[in-house]
Amino acid sequence: MIQHIDVHAVLQESVPGGGVYGDLVTRPTGRVVREQIERAIATAAVARVDFTGVGCIDYSCADEIVAKLLRERPAVLVLSGISDAHREAIEPVLAGHGLAALIEGPGGALETLGAPEAAAVLLEELVARRLAARTPGGTFALTLA
Amino acid sequence: MTRLVDVPAQFDDRSFDQFAGAFAEAAKDGGRLLFDAHAAEWASPYGLVGLLVAGQAGRGGGGGGGGGGGGSTGTEKPLLTAPTQAEVLTYWARAGFFREAADLFEVHGRVPKLKAQDESDVLLPVTPVRAAEDVHAVVSKIQQRASAILASELGLDPKATMGFAMALSEACQNIVEHAGTGGWVAVQRYHWRQKLGRRVVVIAVADAGVGFRHSLEPTQSKRFGARWGDAAALEAALIQGVSRFRDPGRGQGLAGIRRYLARWDGKIAIRSGTARIAIVPKWDDDVPLKDGLPPFPGAQVLIIIPEPESTRK
Repeated sequence: MIQHIDVHAVLQESVPGGGVYGDLVTRPTGRVVREQIERAIATAAVARVDFTGVGCIDYSCADEIVAKLLRERPAVLVLSGISDAHREAIEPVLAGHGLAALIEGPGGALETLGAPEAAAVLLEELVARRLAARTPGGTFALTLA
Repeated sequence: MTRLVDVPAQFDDRSFDQFAGAFAEAAKDGGRLLFDAHAAEWASPYGLVGLLVAGQAGRGGGGGGGGGGGGSTGTEKPLLTAPTQAEVLTYWARAGFFREAADLFEVHGRVPKLKAQDESDVLLPVTPVRAAEDVHAVVSKIQQRASAILASELGLDPKATMGFAMALSEACQNIVEHAGTGGWVAVQRYHWRQKLGRRVVVIAVADAGVGFRHSLEPTQSKRFGARWGDAAALEAALIQGVSRFRDPGRGQGLAGIRRYLARWDGKIAIRSGTARIAIVPKWDDDVPLKDGLPPFPGAQVLIIIPEPESTRK
């Protein structure tokens, strides 16, 4: 089973002023949100981290949340609800660390973001663990619901 | 004894060193400071936030010390004579300057009282930044006010407006994370007819905190040896992406701003202590690194994003 994380809801609940602001900015905000996510996915094999409703993500939050979660790897992470603006922040941070993340599109197709070598390894590992499989359309998708 | 600090008639990043020199000279004797802006004809956001920093650092005659100063122990507010030209005075008020200056200066002159809607043509009025919540407020406000203006009026690519909020957030966070005191941010748009022939958006961020050299000294001074100073600290932070934190993910902020500006042909300049560093685009004639400048407390960041040449109207 996939653990679903609503990042916008986590932001609203865990950050002072989060109920007013919908942006993932500043290190302290990123740290609090990441710690909440870590607790929520502690026992999950796969976690879908959904950024729908999140406005701006800055580089500090991209590092504090996405890069640190990927480095510590508490579960297989799949990012969803990722806008072009989110990509602008996340991609260079991951590339700088030699990390890659999986992005799930609206139709369920998986793509990778970040360092190309790490992305290839990540996709291979998911297929080997049968967590993802190639679709008839030639893309990859999660095998779990 | 009261010491006079002249505010340049055209007060922006180009005339800032003249102001810093006058401030350092006046502040060294410890008397009460009088900032004389009566003849001011124009002030950029950089000039306005820089003046607030001087007011904060100069309270009780302190400040002005080589980038390591900024703290003030006295209680006597410095004096400020407001601009006499009505339109200049109105602009400074619309830009939110006097709202912040009231806490720092004993202001002399007729300061107009404005309603909130009078600031509507200012992308972001002079806004204090003291904590992470302030950065949230700044980013939220700039997205509400600026996105449509940046995309439609300035002709910036929608992707450029996305990165704008990120760059602004990171610039403000430098205050929260490193300065050890509060600071200010302001954002404005202009048409630079003479200099560039294009419209620009300008972000100015300034604080009277410890400055880059002091912040990085514990981790970087040995590496630089005899070269260590304000210029080396700025080079380490902006060019090498060094942070005072050992966490490998640190240093992302300035690196991210640089990437953003490289993509949109923008400029960044940071002044701290006695040095100033800049990433200079082709359209500008600034120098990349200046050392031996008059000392000024804290750090002052200037970011300029021009209208793309392809969208000039």
